[in-house]
Amino acid sequence: MRRLIRIFALVLASAGLARAATPADCWQLRKHGADAHACFDALTRSASAYDRAEGFWGLADWEQANAQFRLATQSANSNALYKVRWGMLLHERFNDKDASDLFREALAKDPQNAQAYIGLALISAENFDGQAADYAAKAISLDPKSAEAHEVMADLALTNDDRDAALAEADKAIALSSDALDAMAIHVAVDLLADRAPDAWLAKIAAVNPKYGEGDGRIGHQLELHYRYEDAVAWYRKAIDAEPERWSAHSALGIDLMRLGKDDEPYKELELAYNNGYRDAATVNSLRLIDSYKNFDTIRDETTILKLNKSEVTLLQPYIQAELHTILATYEKKYRMTLPGPVQVEVYPNHEDFAVRTTGMPGLGALGVTFGRVVAMDSPSARKPGDFNWGSTLWHEMSHVFILTATNYRVPRWFTEGLAVHEEGMHSAEWRNRVTPDVLIAIRDKKLLPVEKLDRGFVFQDYPGQVEVSYFQAGTICDYIGEKWGEDKLLDMVHSYAKLETTPQAIQQNLALSNADFDKQYLAWIDRKYGAEASHFDEWRKTFMALVAAAEQKQFDIVLQQGPAVLALYPEYVDDANVYELLADAYQDRNDAEAETTILIAYEHHGGQSPDRLKRLAQLEADAGHADEAIATLERINYIYPVKDEDLHRRLGGLLYAQKQYDGAIREYNAVLASAPADKAGAEFNLAQAYFAAGQKDKAQDSVLAALEAAPGYRPAQKLLLELQQTPAKSN
Amino acid sequence: MSRALLWLTLGACALPLHAATYYVIVAGLGGEPDYEQRFTSAARDLDRVFQSEGPVAHVVALTGAQSTAAQLRSALATVAHAARADDDFVLILIGHGSYDGVEYKFNLVGPDLTAAELATLCDRIPARRQLIVDTTSSSGGAIAALERPGRAVITATKSGTEKNATVFARYWVEALQDPAADTDKSDSVSAMEAFAYATKKTAAFYDSQKRLATEHAVFNDTGSGEPVRDAGNGQGQLLSTFTLLRLGTSEQAANDPAKRALLEQKDSLEQKIDTLKYQKAAMDPADYKKQLTEALVDLAKVQEQLDAGAAK
Repeated sequence: MRRLIRIFALVLASAGLARAATPADCWQLRKHGADAHACFDALTRSASAYDRAEGFWGLADWEQANAQFRLATQSANSNALYKVRWGMLLHERFNDKDASDLFREALAKDPQNAQAYIGLALISAENFDGQAADYAAKAISLDPKSAEAHEVMADLALTNDDRDAALAEADKAIALSSDALDAMAIHVAVDLLADRAPDAWLAKIAAVNPKYGEGDGRIGHQLELHYRYEDAVAWYRKAIDAEPERWSAHSALGIDLMRLGKDDEPYKELELAYNNGYRDAATVNSLRLIDSYKNFDTIRDETTILKLNKSEVTLLQPYIQAELHTILATYEKKYRMTLPGPVQVEVYPNHEDFAVRTTGMPGLGALGVTFGRVVAMDSPSARKPGDFNWGSTLWHEMSHVFILTATNYRVPRWFTEGLAVHEEGMHSAEWRNRVTPDVLIAIRDKKLLPVEKLDRGFVFQDYPGQVEVSYFQAGTICDYIGEKWGEDKLLDMVHSYAKLETTPQAIQQNLALSNADFDKQYLAWIDRKYGAEASHFDEWRKTFMALVAAAEQKQFDIVLQQGPAVLALYPEYVDDANVYELLADAYQDRNDAEAETTILIAYEHHGGQSPDRLKRLAQLEADAGHADEAIATLERINYIYPVKDEDLHRRLGGLLYAQKQYDGAIREYNAVLASAPADKAGAEFNLAQAYFAAGQKDKAQDSVLAALEAAPGYRPAQKLLLELQQTPAKSN
Repeated sequence: MSRALLWLTLGACALPLHAATYYVIVAGLGGEPDYEQRFTSAARDLDRVFQSEGPVAHVVALTGAQSTAAQLRSALATVAHAARADDDFVLILIGHGSYDGVEYKFNLVGPDLTAAELATLCDRIPARRQLIVDTTSSSGGAIAALERPGRAVITATKSGTEKNATVFARYWVEALQDPAADTDKSDSVSAMEAFAYATKKTAAFYDSQKRLATEHAVFNDTGSGEPVRDAGNGQGQLLSTFTLLRLGTSEQAANDPAKRALLEQKDSLEQKIDTLKYQKAAMDPADYKKQLTEALVDLAKVQEQLDAGAAK
């Protein structure tokens, strides 16, 4: 009843029948679902520039609001609050850079301004930069009675999947302010994530504001962050039902529907948001991405949908589609399930297009991303050669598809990421979890998280590189479980999560260990595996730098003398200027092909991915008469950088042809043609020969004609054409 | 290759093969050990490739300390003295170049040589068909000074303002070592084929490294006007008929009267194929394929007879 009285009073105020309304009054009115238009309109006629700014903001006249804020803050003595509010406006209107500057300017004026810290927390939270919680904590310390600060902290905690902390902060906000709607929305989200009915909290929200679309949108966002894409759609729709002009919800709905692989509705929703002025980067870039789909071909079969750019569809389709089917067969067997529908894989040659798909998502997001049964990933052409392995990425993302499906999207981040990393290594030892320098430092400095809190290492980093370390830790936890208890235990854990068990419950249930004991055993295992390397890391770094310097000076004697010892300190390191390559250069300088081959094989087996090095190895292997090894080496490059390299495919095709592996040769010679070779006639002729050898006479004839069409006087092709004319037709 | 260029190429097969080719290859001043090694290696590779042509190839390669203006002047003077009008002349410059907005200089040990001086030295060489391949940085700034009727000029950069070190030379050398550069399968690599190969590979290099391309190779073989990147409008004819390297046995049958009828038949079939290809877009695909197949089979049979005769 008290609430209603207050609202009534505010309405009177907004109509000019009582005291003049303040900006806070108008916003409060809106928060409670009342029509605040007249209230804000009255503000625009105020003598105060600040009030006018708030009035125009409430009326969605952003430009006027911006202009009035500028006016309000012109004076050196203006209230710090004005800058904070101006910053909030700019944050709402997608200009975080200037908003951040304004918050800092406000803090320069008033270091105790809690609102400014809240503004900084909001910006940091969207960027997952790890400082958001610090800012929110600062706001709370400066103004312990700020319900808003506790709401922000609750939202951050839930994003980090710290549900207890989220609820505790939400309760603090509600205790401070009975209309803390966003805190109530946190309760709803937590209930939904735990598959509990949120009715009680929804009723409380409705009692304050029966049409609080913003809350529905927040709930949808949290569901989306926890992989619940379908559920998020429903909540974005609720937000729109409650407030049809909540354009942020239209945009979020469009993006979420895109993530679910829907075709038409995403564009409609995004365009609606855009046309009504909601033009944040995610909306604009998503619309651009949808526009670019005209440049993609879609290839469907019973179980897969591939979206590949027209410029590389001919080249990549055979590789990706075949791999996808291998993955499906492997995981169906391992996880004893089939997917309820086809999986869609989108491959983007422009990294910026792929990045649009990960907007607003935590984690590295650098290689691939999975939304239910939709996988988006970079094309190898989007990366520098050697930076990316599309094969391991696809195995990783497809693991998510299965685990999300198996658990009905109720799986902690650490487990699905860990299992995905584990699966890469299960498929190929060369793709296994690699211990990077950041990981070694984290092990040395004992920064690995308890398994129960590991999710938090993926979202808001406590230190640079923590996300990468968390991937490693999650992956090695699954390696450890698989090694000690068997792969089936991992599947049992999947089933535990499907039954909504928590991580402590899943570990207790399946491994008969408490979380603390599990952590202890796992850390001991990690120490046995990597402890020595971690403790010698500084020594490695020092000797490695000296070795690199010697190599740069072409002091190959020093490299050969000291390289093996440096390598032994940290053999997993295969990134820039690794010891394997330094030694290979030195051996090549000494014309010691055998030693060069040996060191490059070790590089290859440790997961080295430089296409040039691997091509060199393949050449050495072929020269030594080891055609099978050379083939295997070149086939590795097909997983790394099969694009823009006709030479790779020509060499591999030649080796396969010589080994009478004609199907492989046909695949590779087709890849040469798909690479738009300078020597089209030669490429067609090679393909014709492979078809002919494989008994596919009609295709051989087509290819040899294409060769001769390009070069009519091409003697070997002429001879093959005549041979084909004389060869009786076979059934292909 | 355009239809017009194809005709010129076919015509070139009948040219007598006894004319010589004079090659002058210069690896300029590297400045740093890496560049020095790279330039020298490229020059030596070219030297070896051209030497393999046999007695018709006269090759001079200047590397390291030999790469002075005086040595280059001397080498070009020697060619000017020895070459005849029906010989071919090829100058390949590898290294760094500079351009001050007016004048291009090829960086050598000691004083550099300007494009104008290079042009004057080449003008003294009587060979009517000349090719200058300037693979240096800023080489585009040399074109205006070097171009002349009968001389094709290829530069690694489109202008003097593309000043970064180039990679074009690497792929130019590769073109002469990779049989794939012989795209028309004529058993020889023309300057146009080598240019196409090297430009494609250069572009692929920058693309794969995710770097903005800082070199864009161009050519001019009409002797005047702006350089271009692709053949057409009269550009490209000289480059297409300028054989840089022979990969195998070239046709000898042209001079055998006994084969004249077969050669006429072959010529007629090649014309027919060329006409068919020209009309392809307007033809029914099945009809095109049928006619093309027949013509190609006939051509293959004629070639088989020519080869059989040559083998006797």
